[in-house]
Amino acid sequence: MDAELVDYVQAARAAFADLSPTPGMRKPDPVLVASGIRRHFGGIVAVDVDHLEVQRHSITALIGPNGAGKTTLFNLLTGFDEPDSGTWAFDGRNLERVVGYKTAKLGMVRTFQLTKSLTKLSVIENMKLGATGQIGERWWNGLLPFRWRAQESAIEKRADQLLSRFKLDQMRDEYAGTLSGGQRKLLEMARALMTEPKLVMLDEPMAGVNPALKQSLNEHIKRLRDEGMTVLFVEHDMDVVHDISDWVVVMAEGRIIAEGTPDQISSDQAVIDAYLGTQQGKSLMEDI
Amino acid sequence: MKVRNRQLATLAFSVASAAAFFAGTGAASAAPPESCEGPAIRVLVNDQSTGDKVPLPDVAVAINDEAGVLVIEGVTDEKGVALLCLPDKATYTVVLDTATLPEGTALQDESNTKVVDEQTFTTNVKTVAFFTGTAVRETQGYFGRLIDVTVNGIRLGIIIAICSVGLSLIFGTTGLTNFAHGELVTFGGVVTHLLTVAWGIPFLIGAPVAVLLGGLLGLFLDWALWARLRKRGIGLISQMVVSVGLSIALVNFYLMRFGGFPRRFTAWNDQIASSFGPIDITQRDFVAGLVALTALVSVALMLRNSRLGKATRAVSDNSELASSTGIDSQKIIRIVWFLGGALAALGGVVRGLDEGVEADMGAGLLFLMFAGITLGGLGSAYGALVGGFVIGLFVEVSTMGIPVFPELPLLGFVKHGVPTELKTVPALAVLILILLFRPQGILGQKERVG
Amino acid sequence: MNWELILQLTLQAFFGLDAVVFIIAALGLNVQFGYAGLLNFGQAAFMAAGAYGLGMSTYYWGVSWWWGIAFGAAYAATLAVVVGVPTLRLRADYLAIVTIALAELVRLVVRSVTHKDKFGGSDGLKGFARGFHALNPIDGTGNRYGIGPLQAHGTMRIALFVLWISISLGIAYAIARSRWRKSRPQRVRWGTAVIGICLFGVLLKLFQYFDYLGFELWVLIIGWIIVAICAIFVWALMRSPWGRVLKSIREDEDAVRSLGKNVFGYKMSALVVGALIGTFAGMISALRNSNVQPDNYSRSLTFFVLTALVLGGVAKVSGSIIGPMIYWALLAFTDSFLIQLGDKSGRVTVGGVTLLNNSSAIGQFRLMMVGFGLILLMVLRPQGIFGNRAEMALDGR
Repeated sequence: MDAELVDYVQAARAAFADLSPTPGMRKPDPVLVASGIRRHFGGIVAVDVDHLEVQRHSITALIGPNGAGKTTLFNLLTGFDEPDSGTWAFDGRNLERVVGYKTAKLGMVRTFQLTKSLTKLSVIENMKLGATGQIGERWWNGLLPFRWRAQESAIEKRADQLLSRFKLDQMRDEYAGTLSGGQRKLLEMARALMTEPKLVMLDEPMAGVNPALKQSLNEHIKRLRDEGMTVLFVEHDMDVVHDISDWVVVMAEGRIIAEGTPDQISSDQAVIDAYLGTQQGKSLMEDI
Repeated sequence: MKVRNRQLATLAFSVASAAAFFAGTGAASAAPPESCEGPAIRVLVNDQSTGDKVPLPDVAVAINDEAGVLVIEGVTDEKGVALLCLPDKATYTVVLDTATLPEGTALQDESNTKVVDEQTFTTNVKTVAFFTGTAVRETQGYFGRLIDVTVNGIRLGIIIAICSVGLSLIFGTTGLTNFAHGELVTFGGVVTHLLTVAWGIPFLIGAPVAVLLGGLLGLFLDWALWARLRKRGIGLISQMVVSVGLSIALVNFYLMRFGGFPRRFTAWNDQIASSFGPIDITQRDFVAGLVALTALVSVALMLRNSRLGKATRAVSDNSELASSTGIDSQKIIRIVWFLGGALAALGGVVRGLDEGVEADMGAGLLFLMFAGITLGGLGSAYGALVGGFVIGLFVEVSTMGIPVFPELPLLGFVKHGVPTELKTVPALAVLILILLFRPQGILGQKERVG
Repeated sequence: MNWELILQLTLQAFFGLDAVVFIIAALGLNVQFGYAGLLNFGQAAFMAAGAYGLGMSTYYWGVSWWWGIAFGAAYAATLAVVVGVPTLRLRADYLAIVTIALAELVRLVVRSVTHKDKFGGSDGLKGFARGFHALNPIDGTGNRYGIGPLQAHGTMRIALFVLWISISLGIAYAIARSRWRKSRPQRVRWGTAVIGICLFGVLLKLFQYFDYLGFELWVLIIGWIIVAICAIFVWALMRSPWGRVLKSIREDEDAVRSLGKNVFGYKMSALVVGALIGTFAGMISALRNSNVQPDNYSRSLTFFVLTALVLGGVAKVSGSIIGPMIYWALLAFTDSFLIQLGDKSGRVTVGGVTLLNNSSAIGQFRLMMVGFGLILLMVLRPQGIFGNRAEMALDGR
């Protein structure tokens, strides 16, 4: 790690060091700010978040029992769903009317709980799809190969680099459908990186992943932050949360009930109540 | 179960009473005073000056063959009907002796001869009508026409509503958009025609049998085709394409066996319209409409109150959730296909009474059915009933203009009314507008459309 | 049973104008349905737009038919946008429903008596293609011409020889490559030569059985040129990054959206591109008989094009070309076979049982078989002749 990278890690730790955690608290340098986000489905309040800020260059975990509204909040923030009310801004830019795909263009990319690797495309094509700004993607340019050939090779080079980083380079020309579940997760993450995002939002990246791969994924996620990106991820596995996150936000029944460093959260009574009060698998008590 | 039995009993009772009513009165007007052994021409002479069809007795008519030679002549009876027997099916000319018309009446279209082509002898008896008096409709005025059009719209609306319920429920329970549904409607008309005209079974037996067969056809299709596709995991888009193939196959099968020309059920063809206040409607149309309406209401009530109906709605809304509460989704789906097929067939019968049976009558209605269920909400059974009814009414009423509307370029149809041949066009406009502003329809659930 | 006549009619249909019109329409439908996964059941409406645009402008306004083409194209593009805006954000079913409605509507309006002065009512428009046929370089438009090298003379013979041998080698190369590229690469060149020569020989033999009227041949040549242009166009598009995005959208829209692509925009451009190609199909169809009739563009037309497309192989340019050719060849075969089987009035009796009553029943029987054929295709071999099962994104959708 060179000096610049180390800065991010230390800056993140420093930023969180003296904060006394309260739900919805402000952060020194937020990349994502959301206020008053409300969403209900026919009588049930799915999300009711007064305030949430995500610190830049940090890894923030979003945890909570099932049905707490984490994925819904993800969908709302990334424009895949419309809230009933609320405002939110990414990097200072108001996202209120911005639809799904535009948030990704702005640098906010997300993955899905059920991996969406495109099985009918090869691995390398999946990766090339991720690149933004390929002018060949407009159909009139698409007709004239000489206009996009150069761009395509550059994109392919970058894709190959990422693939070797994620150890998928051997499978480069295979259909993504032939990959194992874990490999597909890696592919989705690698593909998301092709968009050169500022904020990476991972929806349950460890779901259904075997322990060996979990370790590897942990390292990949940490590396994202080390390279200057911000990570916000939803997770149930408390080991992972404890291992890699700088900050933890806890949701229950649509509201944020606690925030803090992983240690602080483990001993927060409100959080323990929320978890023990529902049928959550892993108890927080084990991590104390 | 008790509630369901009650609904069925009501339905049966209505049908039975309608049947009795019909049998009692219909028989008199349908059965000719005598019958012929071979082909015949039945001549009707009516006066229309007062707006009702008034039969004219003692009018002399003669039938000549192609060479002009007289074949047979006769005189109309007290019902204004003369049945003249013919030696064979050929081209004839019917001549009315205007000298024998009552004082003060004259034929509406100046000609007192009508040619009957050999080709048109699809059944043994060919009917030819002569009308005297002035055309009544012209003096009817705007409101008279409006009422007529509204009545037609209600009839069309009811037909579309009962045809679409099945379509909507099939979508709700299996996710399939059944592009062959129109052919289930046509099935009702075609089979009824086969039973009653070709095989001579009385209409009141033939029609219900056709409806039942329609239901069985729906059941058969599900068993033979759709259930197997679902089990194989074949996707919905592929299933839609399969339904297209089925539609092509069925339409052409009907064309092959039934022919391309519209045909009517021979019973109750020449109805005399009776007046209910400002509404003119024939007995036949009235009873047909009543039966359809009863079916409509019964289905609505059944869906709402009976256990079966509630289970159906549950499966239609969310089939996984429904099966977790112990409802047998597969059984419900089979019932839905039976019901859908039967109702579609009923719609076909009623439509056949109105407009005659044609091999592609269902296909023409399919688009209106889709407009109706989109308006009401795809997957919602009530939505289909309401939406279908509204579309039917709207389509007919759109032919009336709003006279007080200003004359604007391109919007001339608002003032003058949509021309009758284009009256289904506004339904498309409705379809597009609904999808733009409220894609879930009036009664549908809002879904995330991304 | 006159087998030679049956062969002649079948071959004429295989290479003939009906197939050409369907090929172009299928290429357009393939962009929409095969690549982008859009269920467009109203391709007939876009074909009608092209035909009427061309017919009306040359007939009424006497403008050159380049303007006619432009007008038809603009009209089709507008229709596509009108249909796309409300439906492309919603489920696939909605597009299907609306496009069926659109096709029916266009037909009704164009057929109506109310607008007879514009569209010619149910008789349609006639006689606008005189200028086009005047350009026919073939002398003796009433004579019949074969399309093989042995049927021609002089320079034409050489030209045709070159044409057909190149086509044979090209097809042979495609076959050899797909079979042997990975296993035995050295076989590819050898295989190309052998398959190509055999294919050429077969063609030479078949060419002697059929021919075309000079009048028709001209439209046929133009038609095939347009097929070549459209095919290259679609092929190039699909290998481009645009095509990649479309294929991804077909499989999973949300994934594509999450990568910053405007899914709605891509779907719309696919719809419009497909509609524009369909327009050309309509124009060729209009030029053939120099008339445009509304009943030729019924809602069933789109379904038939779809069947031909599925037969050939969805999402493959080669499928869009071969599918319609085989489709029309099969129809012609069944037709001529059944007609010969029947008696003068067209009645077909097998073992004393009357299967078909008259000659129109034969046509309907054929189409009924088309319907069943489509069902069987979708169930047993949805990838058609040339499709790739692994790439079939229709499974599970």
